[in-house]
Amino acid sequence: MWLPLIGLIVGLAVGFLLDWRVPQEYSSYLSIALLAGLDTIFGGIRSFLERTFNVRIFLSGFFFNTLFAAGLAFIGGFLGIDLYLAAIVAFGVRLFNNLAVIRRIVLSRWINQQD
Amino acid sequence: MLQKSRKITFILAIISAIIGVMLTVQLRSSLHPVHKESRSIAELRTTLQKELEKHKNLLADISKYNQLYYQYETSLSEDESISVMKEELARNRRMAGMVAVEGEGVVLKVVDAQIPEEPILDENMTAPVVGEYTIDDEDLRWLVNILFANGAQAISINGHRLISTTAIRNVGDTIQIDTRTIQPPYELKALGDPEVLLSALKLEGVEENFQLANKKVLAEKMDKLMISANNETRTIQYMKPVKEKGDS
Repeated sequence: MWLPLIGLIVGLAVGFLLDWRVPQEYSSYLSIALLAGLDTIFGGIRSFLERTFNVRIFLSGFFFNTLFAAGLAFIGGFLGIDLYLAAIVAFGVRLFNNLAVIRRIVLSRWINQQD
Repeated sequence: MLQKSRKITFILAIISAIIGVMLTVQLRSSLHPVHKESRSIAELRTTLQKELEKHKNLLADISKYNQLYYQYETSLSEDESISVMKEELARNRRMAGMVAVEGEGVVLKVVDAQIPEEPILDENMTAPVVGEYTIDDEDLRWLVNILFANGAQAISINGHRLISTTAIRNVGDTIQIDTRTIQPPYELKALGDPEVLLSALKLEGVEENFQLANKKVLAEKMDKLMISANNETRTIQYMKPVKEKGDS
């Protein structure tokens, strides 16, 4: 259970050590991809708590969502439409939904344990 | 089941590591430019103002130094041109015979040859002989021409400096140089290489020619010969310098 947290810390450390920098014009794509990744993570946690977790769905969701979000923002930049807003809204909403579901599940479990 | 969940957590760890990398990269790349752009427009404006002022100052410096440089250059060239002009003027004055000059040269004295004169006088009547054997302007012109042709730079006849417009002519029985009458004995002073001048005189047969007129040319080398200036005043009346195009 602690392994993902350790992985996150390791990832942060690697990111700091690598000292990569994305040019200003591409940072919005990365932020979208990041949001998608976070959404997928939370979706994964939720499905894990709901016991419907599937590794394949999770993995494909993670990569597909990040790439598609970045690609959508990219295409939007070409078309002159702020498509990344759509991605942000969609992923934001999903993020909050997922968080809400996780919170409910955790709370109900805690209440059940109390009882 | 346990193995499966371990596998899942492993995958989750990898995914979260990727997320962490993305997070830090995003943080880094957004933090750094943000720091650059966080300066307010007013601040930027003041720095721009400062830089502009600095730029203006530098430009002023440049123009100042350019001006100084120009001044120096012009003063330098003026000084130079003045000295060049002075030099040229002095040279021209020397060449034109307006100043006394000195140097090595020869002195030619045209004197009566006493020894051959006696028998001639004895044989013939005195009066016609004298008239026949006088030296005229042509002889002097010839002599002067020989000297000039062989590198003489200044010549005077009986103290009259020859210049480019000098005329030597017979007026009656006497010879005039320009408008001044000269009397024998004629003495020519010439500045130049003495050896060259004397050998030229010899080569041209001056001795023999003057012998015909019963005269002798006494040549003397001089180490230091002074030739006075031409002191006639000349007015320029018939000539004007031609203005060349491009000559201001």
